[in-house]
Amino acid sequence: MLRLKSPNLLAFVFLSLVLLGGGCYSNESNSRWANAQRESTQGVNPTATSESTQSQTASNRPPRSNKPLAGGEFNKFFPAASDGYTRVASQEKEGFAEYKLKKDGKDVAMLAVTDTVTNPEAAAKFRESTRQINGYPAIDQGSTATAVLVDNRFQVKVLSRNPSFTKEDREAWLQKFNFAGIAGL
Amino acid sequence: MSKPIYEIVDELPTSGMTVTLLKSLDFVVPGQWQNITGFDNTIRVVTGETDEQMIQQIGERAIQLYNDKSQGYQTALWIYDAVGKGSGALGAAALANKFGENFSFLSFLNRLTPKADTAQAIDLSVKLVAEIVAYCKINGIPGDSIGEFVSALADYSGESLMRMATLVSVDALLPLGPDFIEKVGSTIGGLTTDELQKNQTFDQINNEIPGGDTSSKLGFIGESFRSVSNWMGSFVSSRNLTQESVASNLKKYIDITDNKLDYVSAFLDMTTNYYEHTGVQTLARRLTERAAAEI
Repeated sequence: MLRLKSPNLLAFVFLSLVLLGGGCYSNESNSRWANAQRESTQGVNPTATSESTQSQTASNRPPRSNKPLAGGEFNKFFPAASDGYTRVASQEKEGFAEYKLKKDGKDVAMLAVTDTVTNPEAAAKFRESTRQINGYPAIDQGSTATAVLVDNRFQVKVLSRNPSFTKEDREAWLQKFNFAGIAGL
Repeated sequence: MSKPIYEIVDELPTSGMTVTLLKSLDFVVPGQWQNITGFDNTIRVVTGETDEQMIQQIGERAIQLYNDKSQGYQTALWIYDAVGKGSGALGAAALANKFGENFSFLSFLNRLTPKADTAQAIDLSVKLVAEIVAYCKINGIPGDSIGEFVSALADYSGESLMRMATLVSVDALLPLGPDFIEKVGSTIGGLTTDELQKNQTFDQINNEIPGGDTSSKLGFIGESFRSVSNWMGSFVSSRNLTQESVASNLKKYIDITDNKLDYVSAFLDMTTNYYEHTGVQTLARRLTERAAAEI
């Protein structure tokens, strides 16, 4: 009653099984990622808390917990939608909140706030910062991201998802975040 | 230890029945789905990043996040996988049931397998619940937030929208007809906890469905289905989707020699795993997005 119309289909299925079975494809990738896999499944929990950033809290407030803040704490400090852009909530996890920025129905950028307490390397990279945005150290990452470190702990980042959303756009949107509010957390 | 996420994404097939099915349904959500496979490739496509050092950092962070069970990504993947497996088993049961109707000597099969429409109705509604729970696990919203999920559906795109499109086309419209919303609503409304417990798809993800006992889980399933009904109804009408349009597009790839579309649905259920395939793609996208923002 039912049969595959294309006899080539079975051949494709078989061929792909052979390729996967032979590991021709995945081995190359494995060698690239195997270390990260080993490190994150042995010993220290990679997303666990580090105390390395704790000495850098603002002097006029008590030291923060060394546990990541709930992602929901960051929501009210994100910029509102404006200038034809719409904002859609994307993820809200422990120590992380992210919104999608859309224009004309298309995704153009991501806006994110991260508590770097679980990932101190993210904060450490700002030592190389040579400029500031609204008084906080800023850096570019790769070709699609610009980030700011607020109060030595919270990373605020804007990531382009469309070539039309330029580095200047990323900096303009970073300036719309409520950095003071984030620093007060 | 569970399989590394990069291997799971690397092993997504680039051809075969599942990929063929999804391609044949491109007409439902034109241009929304590309078969993005491979861990490195997913990072490149999702972020648009070309800097190899950045890609390495994003991948390593994604691996760390995935391996931390408390983040919910592994549970979400398990749900997509379990629903796919449960669904395949349903295909076998539904087909056996059909033969039971055609061949009276096999009519005893009715005692062992649910009637096809009932099984299909449970399968559809449990898959919807799986989508809600997996969505919440991935995006960090409490697992019983049906309202949040319904709002998010409006913004579904890419592989997530294709998964819902396939659910509506192949698991709802094709086997149950244009009035599937009324049919399934009525079936779920009259379902006993005993009938629900016997369902393979439910059994697979039972523990992840919100509710303290089977009765409250059944309540959650019914509430979920009612909440998503409007979206499904609009989805079908706004795209002029019919059994015929779905079948005629499938016919480009699969010979359908009669009009028994429920056989086609059961056949696809047994031979494809679109739920897990697009589920892995959704998960890989979200993981990549988060990793890129966190590094």
